[in-house]
Amino acid sequence: MSKGYRQAPSGSSDKKRKDGKRIAGKQDFGVPGSGGSNPYSELQDIERIPNSQGGQLEQPRGPHVHDPHITGQTIGKATPLVDSRWKVTGQAEYGDDIRLPNELVGRILRSPHHYARIVSIDTSAAEALPGVRAVSTGMDSVNRFGVLPVTKDEHAMAQDKVRHVGDLVACVAAESEEIAIEALSYIHVDYEVMESIHDMEDGLLDSENPIHDRGKYHIGESNVQKRVFQQFGHTDAMHDAPFQSKSDWTFAGLHHGFTEPHAVVAHWDPNGRLQLYTPQQVPHYVHRALSSVLDVPMHQINVIRTFVGGGFGGKSDPFPHEMCAAILAKKSGRPVRINFDREEVYWINRGRHPSRIQMEVYADEKGRIAGIETDALIDGGAFASFGHVTTYYNGVLHTSPYEIGGFHYTGARVWTNKPASGAMRGHGAVNSRCAVEVAIDDVCEQMGVDPMTFRLANLLPPHCRTITGFRITSTGMRECLDEVRKQSGWDDKFRKMPLGRGIGVGCGFFISGSGLPIHWDPENFPHATVHLQCDMDGGVTVHTGAADIGQGSDTAVAQAVSEVLALPLDMIRIRSRESDTAPVDLGSYSSRVTFMNCNAAIRAAIELREKVLNAAWEIIGYHPDSLVLGDRRIYYKRDPAIGVSWLQAVHKAQADTGSLIASGAYRTPPMGGVHKGAAAGLAPAYSFSAYVAEVEVDPETGFVRVIKAWAAHDCGKALNPLAVEGQIIGSCHMGMGQVLSEEMRYGRTGHLLNPDLLDYKIMSVHEMPEVVPIIVESNDPEGPFGAKEAGEGPLLPILPAVVNAIYDAIGVRVNELPVSPDRLYSTIEKQCRKMGIKDPLDLPNPSFEPSALQADLENRAKEHAHRDLQRDLLKDRSSYVNGVLFGFDPDRPLPEQSEGWRESVTPTPEDLADPKKRAARAWSHVERRKRRDDA
Amino acid sequence: MKTPPFRLHRPTTIDEAVNLAADLVKRKQGFDWVSGGTDLLANYKWHINTQPHVISLASIEELTRHGAHHIGAMVRLHELEHGPTHPLLRKAAGTIASTLIRRSATVGGNLCLDTRCFWFNQTEDWRRSIDWCHKCDCDTGADCRVIPNQNTLCVATYQGDLAPCLMVLDATIHLAGPEGVRSMSIADFYALDGMTRNVLKTGEFVTHVSTPEESNDLDGDYQKLSLRESWDFPEAGVAAAWKRTDTGLSTLRIATTACESIPRIHLESAEAALVDWNGESTTIEVAEAIRREVKPVNNTYFPPAYRRKMLRVLTKRALKGTWM
Amino acid sequence: MSAPIHIPMVPSDPMEAWTARVNGAQFTELAHSHSILLDVLRDHVGTLGVKRGCDMGTCGCCAVLVDGEPVLSCLTLAFEVEGKDITTVEGLADGHHLHPIQQCFADHGGSQCGFCTPGFLVVSAALLDKEPNPSEAAIKEAIEGNLCRCTGYQQIVTSIQEAGEMLRNGLTGEDRTEAASDPHPVGPDEPTLPPGDAR
Repeated sequence: MSKGYRQAPSGSSDKKRKDGKRIAGKQDFGVPGSGGSNPYSELQDIERIPNSQGGQLEQPRGPHVHDPHITGQTIGKATPLVDSRWKVTGQAEYGDDIRLPNELVGRILRSPHHYARIVSIDTSAAEALPGVRAVSTGMDSVNRFGVLPVTKDEHAMAQDKVRHVGDLVACVAAESEEIAIEALSYIHVDYEVMESIHDMEDGLLDSENPIHDRGKYHIGESNVQKRVFQQFGHTDAMHDAPFQSKSDWTFAGLHHGFTEPHAVVAHWDPNGRLQLYTPQQVPHYVHRALSSVLDVPMHQINVIRTFVGGGFGGKSDPFPHEMCAAILAKKSGRPVRINFDREEVYWINRGRHPSRIQMEVYADEKGRIAGIETDALIDGGAFASFGHVTTYYNGVLHTSPYEIGGFHYTGARVWTNKPASGAMRGHGAVNSRCAVEVAIDDVCEQMGVDPMTFRLANLLPPHCRTITGFRITSTGMRECLDEVRKQSGWDDKFRKMPLGRGIGVGCGFFISGSGLPIHWDPENFPHATVHLQCDMDGGVTVHTGAADIGQGSDTAVAQAVSEVLALPLDMIRIRSRESDTAPVDLGSYSSRVTFMNCNAAIRAAIELREKVLNAAWEIIGYHPDSLVLGDRRIYYKRDPAIGVSWLQAVHKAQADTGSLIASGAYRTPPMGGVHKGAAAGLAPAYSFSAYVAEVEVDPETGFVRVIKAWAAHDCGKALNPLAVEGQIIGSCHMGMGQVLSEEMRYGRTGHLLNPDLLDYKIMSVHEMPEVVPIIVESNDPEGPFGAKEAGEGPLLPILPAVVNAIYDAIGVRVNELPVSPDRLYSTIEKQCRKMGIKDPLDLPNPSFEPSALQADLENRAKEHAHRDLQRDLLKDRSSYVNGVLFGFDPDRPLPEQSEGWRESVTPTPEDLADPKKRAARAWSHVERRKRRDDA
Repeated sequence: MKTPPFRLHRPTTIDEAVNLAADLVKRKQGFDWVSGGTDLLANYKWHINTQPHVISLASIEELTRHGAHHIGAMVRLHELEHGPTHPLLRKAAGTIASTLIRRSATVGGNLCLDTRCFWFNQTEDWRRSIDWCHKCDCDTGADCRVIPNQNTLCVATYQGDLAPCLMVLDATIHLAGPEGVRSMSIADFYALDGMTRNVLKTGEFVTHVSTPEESNDLDGDYQKLSLRESWDFPEAGVAAAWKRTDTGLSTLRIATTACESIPRIHLESAEAALVDWNGESTTIEVAEAIRREVKPVNNTYFPPAYRRKMLRVLTKRALKGTWM
Repeated sequence: MSAPIHIPMVPSDPMEAWTARVNGAQFTELAHSHSILLDVLRDHVGTLGVKRGCDMGTCGCCAVLVDGEPVLSCLTLAFEVEGKDITTVEGLADGHHLHPIQQCFADHGGSQCGFCTPGFLVVSAALLDKEPNPSEAAIKEAIEGNLCRCTGYQQIVTSIQEAGEMLRNGLTGEDRTEAASDPHPVGPDEPTLPPGDAR
């Protein structure tokens, strides 16, 4: 303790003159604003420091690269959202709460026709109405936009034709909402109605007037927007497998059902810059779209994200009404606010695609999954939105968590004259996941094997590659299954409960961040960037573009910074609202924010910490390597009495520059294969989950009541267990809605019958069962402190778990969602007729007789559990690819080892031979450029 | 959403309300009554059959009277649920919509609930896109969208929960209007079709319902079909009341709702069942008879075939108390 | 082509003075005879914490207390509650002290996106006012008219139970203005050494 100085209880007094006068440049400002609630800082809490760093925190899966940055502040503690005070006091400003002085109210004229050509629009009468300040039509904005650069097919308002009931035709800004509504009726539009299509299978056919014209890229003359083919593995041999499950699923379209309707406020400020306030998941895409639609450079636009009243993917497209507001505001010279009625929310939609999925799962005599063959036709509605990606996700996201012998996927997305489908929580993975998991239960039934055991005996291990080349790092799938099996009492309940009571299991697999940024090459730009700024007050301001949509991304980023800098959360301030101040961020979708933004934030915080530690070194004379960051205090690790306060060190660090700033970025490592479409589904990490649901089915009415759900989700590391549990339970609620009650219903005339919250049946508190959230931490090597996503993946398993539980309860398999009582009842009736039973209460109760295979699989599951542990702890570093279970050598290309092994993304005529397969029909068309008949 | 403009009148006595209505009739001004507003205002926001005047009954003290056998039209469903009336009514009241709706919605409003149909309960823009419908044709003479090629009958569905319960308790409904007051059995209050709904004349409104003293001796049950326990209107509903004797039943009444344009009491089927009452097996026969009598159409959330079949199950369950 | 059929939205009768107590303060605003309470509160009184979710009674985001009773402001005519005492979410806190229900929604995950929160808060505040120790069934019945899309209700129910606990113990919510962490903490002269070395 020879060098350094002991921190004095108060500022040094020897500099002070006793005569009350100050010495120039020697003023004491060591403790401005002191008076904190806790005058004593605390040392690091040894119990929260990982054992890799000499602390006492157990790490069952070994050390993590971020361990040295754990200071024990917030990570892993249940943390209230940093913006929750705004929300509970009613001070959180959502889209419609932005009220600028002198505002006008905008309303949108929408198409009354499914599909029609616009012959003429006359707005003169509307413009003449007193109180109307601006009227705009598609003529005012001819530039296209869309969330994906490859499929820009939207306009602010219809150009030549309207494509669905509710499509935007014109808009009005007026002094009041009443006048604006009135003015809409003064706009005269002449339509020439065209034949519309509503059934997705009609979209596969040639049409005289396809809903869009993609020029030389158009597929035949059809309404096929995107088609995908992928074939990997032994796709021929799998058809000979002894156990086969084939089902044909129908999934209704879904809406996100967020409580806040879309709203936007646009204002061209006196400097001619557009200020756009909008509740958005993807402010940066809006920024880009506005720029190209309005022909205004991006620096002339400031996109301000308001609080977002729920997104779930429904606010992750740039929207035409945002363009409308900007155009009206420009025309009128005044701020314009547009707030949607609930019905309009359904017109803009972007919900889950209505889908028809033919699912075939094959299992061999050894109880392995010989192959999965999927044909998915998805109904995109009138616009592309995220559909390009959805078409891939319906297939590629079921190549894990199981090791499979073959993968054959045909997918197609068609345009129909409906509101556009898009991305919704669990994007593209939910429907086909449900079909896979139910099919697995079906083959288990045929094999006489417990579906829990079957799953445990067929899991891919940690650190492996899937059949299409996804790089899996951490996986907690096995632990998830083990936990739900144990906690639900599975072994005592499966096939053992009375008729009407059932239990079922389902698994899930989801991306944690999309590997490729949509708008740029990851080689050039990172996925996420975070700036930190520390001023004389000692607090740290975080600038990030990550959109907090209620999931708590602001909180997660604040926690990451707080953890590295050992500062209490209230000293971290998040500025994530404005594109003017935020570094570019792609937005809140594909479960990317926690993984990517927190990683960027950690890097920025490490940089800042280095600067502060160097300053502390100058003050106390100990090298940063021997300094420890405690709570607002930096001290010498061998004598905590030697140290400086955070503020003193910060001031020292600012001494020359007056500023203390740092920046961090994250980009994904190189991953994946090289085939066409290889990028779809690539992610730096994947989340896994397994749920068990227990249900009660009333055979007389078809009502299903979920009694309890055990929901285990591997989120890598729960940065904030409170938020993770909230996400798990919330996902269950949404998924149970999809499986039991929610659907967008279209009537015989093609109209959406339930564009409101009364007939769009979101579960009330009464239908919601108790959910037991189980957090599994697989400690992802690249995740921030080991974390992965927890917002979307937890939705997937609840659907198949419920469907499988229904089977366990009454022995009836359903393949149409939602399993509304009327649908289930008619399935029960059919079953009764087939079995010659009069009263549904006499249905036979399904039973389970284990076959010889059961013991084999139990043994294999045990061996695999050992294998996985070795790989997890990096004791086993051998490479592993999907196929090892089938005897392949992982270090040699698989096609070399077996003649029948295919890796192809272009179908042969034989692949498309089955006339019953729907999406396959999309391949019967030839692209115009390949026909060379484009004009 | 905005309602089209209207003038709200808030009379404080029944007479004042009646005079107001008479005056508006004389001036040929259209008007609606409003009590809780949960049905009317939702329709007005969708611009459905709006009127330039609305007379609110909410300030009429007399209409809030609430006793064991007297239920004022302005008694809120929440109050009914926790009130002194027959347990059957309390039970049924507690199942209506959500607790928030029940705090506003009233007994009178529930009895006079507008009939519903998914071609009709939509916004103005939506209904324009189907060229309107018979029930709200905006003077276009539009056809019915449920059963096309007929425009003489509206088949919209009455989805109130209280009416069938009051029917089986043999309640009387009391009306006031420019021509004075009148009373009738609640079963006679309803009149086809989906637009007429009931026998109220222009300017007339429900003041209260009363249940007979004898209803104290009745047991009863109400069973309804709705997807969710909150918010949803019934898709089918069965109310039953009975009096048990040592040997069987001496009274049995069954009424159904939410399957047709008006609620319906099934006198003959119930009578027939009483003749040779045999407990559970008779309930199954009655249930089947009721299913045959009721003919729902496709205009609510569940398909009509299912609702019909469920009527059988609901009836069976509603009658469980007769033999168990 | 003839003009589409439309029910005229203008003109309406001139506005009249509408008076009520909102969150303890007397307000006199100009409103139409047909004005809806929700619109008056949001557009005139300025209590933007009252949210417009579905506008027809199926989400509960617009719930306010009228004389202490929860009411859907989207289905209430403004003049029907004239002169009454209206409490919105903004009126729950006692000065800068959060109401226990606000505190607990924030602390126990009762609020995610927060849009439905104001409705839940006033409804549950009214419940706890009458019954500080409600059963789970009573809580569910009280909030059955409120729709939450984020939380799956579970953490909301917990929040209400915790708030009941606070109220029963006579605790008030946090003082929002209380000074938080000091960046320059001044510790004791001789902090005790940790057992062994931290690193």
